[in-house]
Amino acid sequence: MLQAHSFLWNYLWVAPNLLLLFLAVLLWRRGTTRQFPAFFAFAILSSVGQLAVYAADILPSVAATTYWRVDWGDLVLEGVLKFALIGEIFALLFASFASLAQLGKTLIRGAGIILVFTAALAAAFSPRNEFVGIISGANLLEQTTYLIECGILVSIFFFSAYFHLSWPRQVLGIALGLSVSACVHLATWALIDNGGLLRSTRLILVFVNMATYHFCVLLWFYYLLVPRKAATKSAVPLPENNLDVWNRELERLVHQ
Amino acid sequence: MTLAIILVVAAALALIFIVRATLSRSLQVSAGTNLATRIQPIDVEAFRNLVDPAEDDYLRRRLSTSEFRVVRRERLRAMAAYVQTAGSNAAVLVRMGQAALTAGDAPTAEAARRLVDNALLLRRNAAFALLRIYIALAWPNSGLAAAPVLQGYEQLNSSAMLLGRLQNPAVPVRISATW
Repeated sequence: MLQAHSFLWNYLWVAPNLLLLFLAVLLWRRGTTRQFPAFFAFAILSSVGQLAVYAADILPSVAATTYWRVDWGDLVLEGVLKFALIGEIFALLFASFASLAQLGKTLIRGAGIILVFTAALAAAFSPRNEFVGIISGANLLEQTTYLIECGILVSIFFFSAYFHLSWPRQVLGIALGLSVSACVHLATWALIDNGGLLRSTRLILVFVNMATYHFCVLLWFYYLLVPRKAATKSAVPLPENNLDVWNRELERLVHQ
Repeated sequence: MTLAIILVVAAALALIFIVRATLSRSLQVSAGTNLATRIQPIDVEAFRNLVDPAEDDYLRRRLSTSEFRVVRRERLRAMAAYVQTAGSNAAVLVRMGQAALTAGDAPTAEAARRLVDNALLLRRNAAFALLRIYIALAWPNSGLAAAPVLQGYEQLNSSAMLLGRLQNPAVPVRISATW
């Protein structure tokens, strides 16, 4: 069951990507792609990229070197898309609060610089396989991308938790899926790259990765398509004739 | 292997933090009805006294250096307690304001937006002020400017009162003890 090219392997590689493509189509039909353009681009391009890598893996005519080149291309594309998506999450969460936007940008930039430096250090201390450099390079790229992605997402969650900001439901869903995927992938790729594990153990970790991604895609379905509970409205009818009075009182209190 | 263990532990901690933050947000949404009772009124005049540089100058002139340090540290600790309470109140008001943002009528939504902005600004200033207070605790003779917190808090009080009156004219929201 937990073998490369088993039914479960094929399912876990193909199904989440087809589901994500389907989700992109549903979002497009509902007209919500304008709200989340980076997520829409991520859903389409990363799915197509992963399916291309899958095709390169199963087609006998594709040489091993070509497969790894396709994988490299997909990793670079996915990395760019994920950071664009994180930028979109940040903008959707903080842009509407003028008092936080600038501070948020500064903090996230600072966190980004520290994380890039940490990821470079981690890459420098990772063991290299000189004979198959293209493979260890791809693994290192995965580890580096997930380390930075995970760190920036934690910073965003920490920042919003400190200020008690309430996340829009759909943005929370996107961020949560991305975070779960990034944390699990960081842990598994760190073990695959640096753990000196047996091939069978590495294969189990790859299954864990694929299952986690499948779970995250389902999470995105839930948060993006299942409607939220009706928002609570002000229970007390507002006395309209009092509004000017209170506005004047506010001005008086602010300027006294 | 050491690097792998460090990264796995970091990833696990990050995942736990994110899931906890998400779950606590969900719980906050469901338990957010009685938020106004969690606000602790603050005596703005007493706080104003504590952050007044003229008071510090007076004490510096009247007391010996060692006595001044002791008194100054006591005042700084009291100031930190005030700022922490102001920051906590701001957090509650952020949640109240965000809940009111969904209100159907424009004036309430506008008042809520103003309240959220002021509360966020105050929470930010409170964080910076606390940092400065803790630094000043180490060097009591250094200057300290907590005035932006006071100013922000006064503005926040007005915004909270306005929103409270708009939502429920019978029960005003008070975050200061001396209004």
